[in-house]
Amino acid sequence: MATEVILPKVDMDMESGLVSVWHVAAGSSVSKGDALFDIETDKAAMEIEAPASGILAHVIAPEGTKVPVGSAVAWIYAENETIPEAAPGEAAQATDVAAPPAAAPGATCTKVAEAAEPRPADTRPEQPSGSVETDEPRPRATPAARAAARTAGLDLARLVGSGPQGRIQSDDVAREIEARERPAPAVETPSRQPAPEAPAAPVSWTERPGALAVTRRKGQGSGAPVVLVHGFAADATGWAPMEKALGNAREIIRIDLACHGRSPLKRIESFAAFARLAVQAFDDLNLDGAHLVGHSLGGAVAMSIADIRPRAMRSLGLIAPAGLGPEIDGETLLGIARASRAESLAPWLKRLAADPEAISWDFAQAAMLSRMDEEMRAAQRDLADRLFPDGTQGFDLSAALGRVEVPLRVIWGKQDSILPWRHALRAPDHASLTLLDKVGHIPHIERPQACAKALGELFVIAEASSRG
Amino acid sequence: MNAPTRHPEVQSRELSYAEAIREAMGLALARDERVILMGEDIGVYGGAFQVTGDLVERFGPDRVRDTPISELGGAGVAVGAALTGLRPIFEFQFSDFATLAMEQIVNQAAKMRYMLGGEASVPVVFRMPSGSGTGAAAQHSQSFEAWFGHVPGLKVVQPSTPEDAKGLLLAALEDPDPVVIFEHKLLYKMKGHVPEGWYTTPIGKAAVRRTGRDLTIVASAIMVHRALAAAETLAAEGIDVEVIDLRSVRPIDRETIIASVRKTGRLICVYEGVRTLGVGAEISAMIAESDAFDYLDAPILRLGGAEAPIPYNPDLEKAAVPQTPDIETAARRLVRKEV
Repeated sequence: MATEVILPKVDMDMESGLVSVWHVAAGSSVSKGDALFDIETDKAAMEIEAPASGILAHVIAPEGTKVPVGSAVAWIYAENETIPEAAPGEAAQATDVAAPPAAAPGATCTKVAEAAEPRPADTRPEQPSGSVETDEPRPRATPAARAAARTAGLDLARLVGSGPQGRIQSDDVAREIEARERPAPAVETPSRQPAPEAPAAPVSWTERPGALAVTRRKGQGSGAPVVLVHGFAADATGWAPMEKALGNAREIIRIDLACHGRSPLKRIESFAAFARLAVQAFDDLNLDGAHLVGHSLGGAVAMSIADIRPRAMRSLGLIAPAGLGPEIDGETLLGIARASRAESLAPWLKRLAADPEAISWDFAQAAMLSRMDEEMRAAQRDLADRLFPDGTQGFDLSAALGRVEVPLRVIWGKQDSILPWRHALRAPDHASLTLLDKVGHIPHIERPQACAKALGELFVIAEASSRG
Repeated sequence: MNAPTRHPEVQSRELSYAEAIREAMGLALARDERVILMGEDIGVYGGAFQVTGDLVERFGPDRVRDTPISELGGAGVAVGAALTGLRPIFEFQFSDFATLAMEQIVNQAAKMRYMLGGEASVPVVFRMPSGSGTGAAAQHSQSFEAWFGHVPGLKVVQPSTPEDAKGLLLAALEDPDPVVIFEHKLLYKMKGHVPEGWYTTPIGKAAVRRTGRDLTIVASAIMVHRALAAAETLAAEGIDVEVIDLRSVRPIDRETIIASVRKTGRLICVYEGVRTLGVGAEISAMIAESDAFDYLDAPILRLGGAEAPIPYNPDLEKAAVPQTPDIETAARRLVRKEV
């Protein structure tokens, strides 16, 4: 017999609650007492335990759904029990009045937004009357997409287009070709091997071919993935503390910017060229919707991606982002880019945090280990020279940010001495601002929990609002 | 005239667009006695936009000739003078008034070489102050490039910089056939580096003013500067725009535009003339017919003048032709796959 999982009354005057996170994915086994899902009420957030052991199924209240108290949100079936097609109890009377009834039983894990919105590719233009063609209409595609498909011997009818009204674009074809050639998605690989001994001072460096490096960590829940873009002279590994705080619910995807981490070294002429590489990496992910989070220079890149790819955005989270004003501590940037040993790196790193003591010797040594590649440091110096000429931010994303329509949160440390938090005042009306006291330029490292909490709220709000 | 073309080591200095044109005319007058200037009020008054300036004092009223208020008569004399071996430069006060001289420009100047079996040529240059933005209203603000570009036998150019204003005028003087030069009135005061001495800017050759990968903007005259300003803003937002200065409407530089669209896959044509049946229509059709077609990854967009006479009201006048924010918006929509 299946055990009904209900939304419990955890508050005296509670009438409904928001399912914010599922800790267990549908189809996975769960033991009684395990953390099953999180709910949020007007007053509190709370973890709900599994009422029985078995297989979780028929999750009819996906993340972001508001559910009346006492309603079923899912069922747990015994290990040996057959799971029926539909959830027990016909209409399951679970979801809130706001959610369309079509999304109720059987619609496991399908976000209501997706169910309600027709897939673009399904809305093909109607066959003109009197046509003697077959009933399959010709797919909409740009000439470039058609030419690319022709060359690759690809059937366009099998593709889903990312253009208006599902029009297939050349990058849709390119992705399909790439997916064919390389079926396995990019996975985490061991981090860069540090060079044993750094040579004297070769300043020259050469470009390296290839696309930006992307690493992914699968999530257990059904929410949209989080895409993280790091800042100048950092790399994907810098997100580790905040990732831990964000938990396992969502897939986490990290992009290494050009000349950083495991991404290739590129000669960058302008911010546009720099951002375009990241837009390309984002496009290649082919995400239906994502929560995009960027720190510092990565924040500016994230604004650019959000502006250019608005339909792929669920929300935008900016941690001490660049691109919102001219001021920047260029000295520190160059100091970090220049440093070839922990002794010279540590004093500059200390400037990043509100409390210099927080940057321990071990921290500096670890940071230096990931920066042993001489050529990478030289490439970063050139990059800093291009993007921050004369210690000034040579690009301005405030207009782009003004056009961002998805839920938006800006997180900044009040003691940030690299980028002044007052730049946050250029964010549009609907942005929410989280100012952290006694925090410097790296809130995601100084206060990972606070950042994760602020971002987690943003994701839930975004997913709730995108359903409406 | 066998003038040397441009030398890379020549000195350059800052001149305004109007000064650069005057310098070109002065060089030509000094170098070749067949060169004469004609037009209404170009003598003592110095020209409606003060382009001829002091040339009458330097070269005398025989070579810098005021003509009566009859565009048809003046243009007719210029065409006749060219036929008999002179090298006249005829200035219209406003390009709008060329409508009065269409017979001479279209039916006579453009046709002679063909109708006389190549035995005659008409080496005349028509200078036309053109475009809106000066509050001169409907009869003094038009952009007629497409009209004249439609006539075989004419060459039509639109310089956007002081350097090209001089170089294209000297190229027009060296050309054996009639050349119509549209000078944008808002550019007359624009300053820029102009090489010294005699050099020519080739007619029929566009200039890539900015390289980019995300989309191509083909613009002419003042629109080049608006497109470049838009490209700056867009670059800061992560959109990499290539800006091509058309420079020449007839002949049109197919190779440069096709090569650019093959690279970027997206095209916006920005021009001040009325949008319908304009220069952008020709460029769009040319791309659709070319091998760049297979590289198009978005529809071609045209930004042109409104389907209305240029209004006198300053706000409406601005709204009637593409402005920098219009170009930015169009570019974003293309790159965001909204069109």
